[in-house]
Amino acid sequence: MSLLSRLRRVPFWSAVWFILGALYFILPLLATFEFSLSMERDVVGFKAYEVAFADKEFLQTFGYSIFLASMTIIMSIILIVPTAYWIRLRLPEARRLVEFITLLPFVIPAIILVFGLIRVYSAPLNVPFTDLTIIQPLTNYKFGTNILIIGGYMVLGLPYMYRSVDTGMRTVDVRTLTEAAQSLGASWYTIVVRVILPNVRTALLSGALLTFAIVVGEVVLASFLGVKAFGPYLFLLGQHRAYEPAALSFTSFLLTWAAMGIIQLVTGGQGQVAGGH
Amino acid sequence: MTHLTLKNISKQFGDFAAVKDFDLDVKKGEFVSFLGPSGCGKTTTLRMIAGFEIPSHGKITINGNDITEKAPSQRNVGMVFQSYALFPNMTVAQNIGFGLRIRKEPEEKVQKRVSEMLEIIHLQEKGNSYPYQLSGGQQQRVALARALAIRPEVLLLDEPLSALDAKIRISLRAEIRAIQRELGITAIYVTHDQEEALSISDRIVVMNMGKMEQVGTPFEIYNFPTTRFVANFVGSLNTTDVEVSDVGQGLLNMNGILLRTAEGTMNKKKGDKVKIAIRPERFNFASEQKKDNVLDCTVENITFLGAVVRIQVKIGDTKFNMDTFNNPFLELPKIGDKDQVTCSKEAVLVLSD
Amino acid sequence: MTQIALPDTQMPPPRSNLKNWIGVVPFLIFAILFIFLPSVRLFIGSFTNEEGRFTLANVTQLFTEKYILNSYWLSIKISAITALGGGIFGFLLAYSVTVGGLPRPLRSALITFSGVASNFAGVPLAFAFVSTLGRTGFITSVLKDVFGFAIYDHGFNLYSFLGLSLTYMYFQFPLMVLIMAPALDGLKKEWREAAENLGATSTQYWLRIALPVLLPSILGAMILLFGNAFGAYATAYALTGGRLPIITIQIGAQVRGDVLHNPNLGNAMAMGMVFIMAISLAGYSWLQAKTERWLK
Repeated sequence: MSLLSRLRRVPFWSAVWFILGALYFILPLLATFEFSLSMERDVVGFKAYEVAFADKEFLQTFGYSIFLASMTIIMSIILIVPTAYWIRLRLPEARRLVEFITLLPFVIPAIILVFGLIRVYSAPLNVPFTDLTIIQPLTNYKFGTNILIIGGYMVLGLPYMYRSVDTGMRTVDVRTLTEAAQSLGASWYTIVVRVILPNVRTALLSGALLTFAIVVGEVVLASFLGVKAFGPYLFLLGQHRAYEPAALSFTSFLLTWAAMGIIQLVTGGQGQVAGGH
Repeated sequence: MTHLTLKNISKQFGDFAAVKDFDLDVKKGEFVSFLGPSGCGKTTTLRMIAGFEIPSHGKITINGNDITEKAPSQRNVGMVFQSYALFPNMTVAQNIGFGLRIRKEPEEKVQKRVSEMLEIIHLQEKGNSYPYQLSGGQQQRVALARALAIRPEVLLLDEPLSALDAKIRISLRAEIRAIQRELGITAIYVTHDQEEALSISDRIVVMNMGKMEQVGTPFEIYNFPTTRFVANFVGSLNTTDVEVSDVGQGLLNMNGILLRTAEGTMNKKKGDKVKIAIRPERFNFASEQKKDNVLDCTVENITFLGAVVRIQVKIGDTKFNMDTFNNPFLELPKIGDKDQVTCSKEAVLVLSD
Repeated sequence: MTQIALPDTQMPPPRSNLKNWIGVVPFLIFAILFIFLPSVRLFIGSFTNEEGRFTLANVTQLFTEKYILNSYWLSIKISAITALGGGIFGFLLAYSVTVGGLPRPLRSALITFSGVASNFAGVPLAFAFVSTLGRTGFITSVLKDVFGFAIYDHGFNLYSFLGLSLTYMYFQFPLMVLIMAPALDGLKKEWREAAENLGATSTQYWLRIALPVLLPSILGAMILLFGNAFGAYATAYALTGGRLPIITIQIGAQVRGDVLHNPNLGNAMAMGMVFIMAISLAGYSWLQAKTERWLK
């Protein structure tokens, strides 16, 4: 078949929509990239990237964001995997309740969540009806703020992580797997570590990468809780610099791309999407 | 009177010949089944009649009108799909009336036809239900009514029962046949289930690898298969290779054992290698009654199949299955017993390939 | 957000046992600390006056203060418009790579790209659009230098309602693609064939079968898009710096404590948002259940 006759088979309108869509996708990226290359007058080069990456504050905030993302992912896995497993195995009647909870972050946008967190935890937490203080205000010290922001990020990632894990467990039918392992005399440790986790690792990976993509550039929670993370840094940088923010924006696009690309790869195109910006 | 004619139909998909030289005349009101394994071209042939595929060669006519390249929507041919394909957004009544409304028939006529059809399929009370509220069998009846509502020239059924449970399959196939008879409509029925084809059809076209193997009534197809493929596919035939040893007397040599056949050796000569087929139910133990062939055998295996008991015997080096009806007083042999089996010479079929 | 679905019917539960609930206690504690307590605090706050007594004043103020109503209205408008626009465009794109007959590789490319774009929001997205449609942006310059058309002299401004809508579209229509592509795959080939067989044209098939079948999915997806834009804060703040007072930006100002003297009014504003989001999600779930029932 010649190229021309191949082209003639492509439906006209479909091609039009596709090209429009591709332009909408690509033009802003192209523009950002082009802009980030033109820091030096009349020279096309990676100067903006050099400057941006060399900034000490960038390294600190970016490193901190990666730390937050990693902690969020680890804590989410520790919290969600046993819960989802337990529900599949022992407590199906809790499924509706837990799924309802995992949907709540869709109803409570980040800005509301941080608002509520600050309202609750910027005051000392007392034993009800007394003046006995259990916890000092979490927002007052760094460790407390870290707990708050990681907890908040866990909430933001909850729908994706829970769904990813739960779907993974449904596909491999963990209850039957567990019963099979038990009948072969496996201990609980062996069951969880050698049977369940390896079978849901694709789901874990895609949930983790999605969480990573959400957390690394997150700006609402970080800036309202006063955490020096990458999101607020980029925002502030944008207030008084032009080229470096473009370079960092393009870089963070590539990072998102990499995360999504890996999800596509490991899940064979069954990847999920986040939302709620 | 010929109603539907497929003349010399072939269909190529790239290098793959899905259907080769298909020739068939179907009479008005006839029920014809296309029977064969998956990939044999039966569904492709049906889809060419419906217009979803255009033949690479050949001609399809209905009542003498060439419809070979007509759009599917212009053919007035009703089709029933394996997956029912009911429109999920419409009620049963709306599904059945869809074709008529597309044809812009007056509303009262549509309503009348819909209630007629609902009566025919015994689902009068389900007119306002949605497909998801019906069982599979009910959905397929609605699909049948929808295809028939437009008073099609020909009704096409593409494995309509294969998604259903065994019990419903049997009752629904009787219902389909009864409705088809009552309306006198020409029907083409695609199936891979030989029992279904045998029970429902006026004529069967057995297909294999895109070619017609044999065309005939269920009686002919079952009792006189002409090719090895038909013999194997329809029923559970014993087949084996033999050598013609006496043309006049119809004697065949099976590794030193002589078998008598009725007429199969007519156009053969001594020494020809041929294939024979014997149905399991044509064998008896010789102790009951002796027929043309009496053969020494050893009992190898006994399988209880419900109404039938299947006994595998070894005659010479060749294993045969023989079926005998089950009854409480049946005296079954034991594995390893030496015995004699017998069959008439008409039971020994000589195959053409 | 594609993964929201009603709970699936599971296998018959083993005998219920109160002890079994121990396994979900850590999760419930987490939910109480990080979801319920903050929400309940906001909820109670909305009905409390500064002396700590019950009042409806905060809630009624939502409807009487003009600037609050305007903010809600602006957020609803921008969310609805980008949901509709992104929904239609996303649907057409999803159509083009599924039943629209474009080659298979284009489909995977589009799906991957949509996954990225629907997650590419906030500050980087705002900067990308400044580089594209800002005063010295790429497209702005190309239009001016090549076509002699200066969009900023003709009323266009990126830091406006239109500009923000165009920016939101960047994550809106990819989300639609991701939701609609599987739904379009769910259209059975046999429906089209059955319709043709019964005499329908392609247009009749689309109007009477395909679109009605897809309608709940389309509406449901648009509701998700609506919520997606309604809760957005960072993109708008980074792009317009608070000049476009959508409701999230108003609430943000409340959290910073730099506008009102009544913190409980802020609580009420937040609850109003949660209320609208909850209605959207309920509508989505209802439509989702309808679709699942049909396509079962």
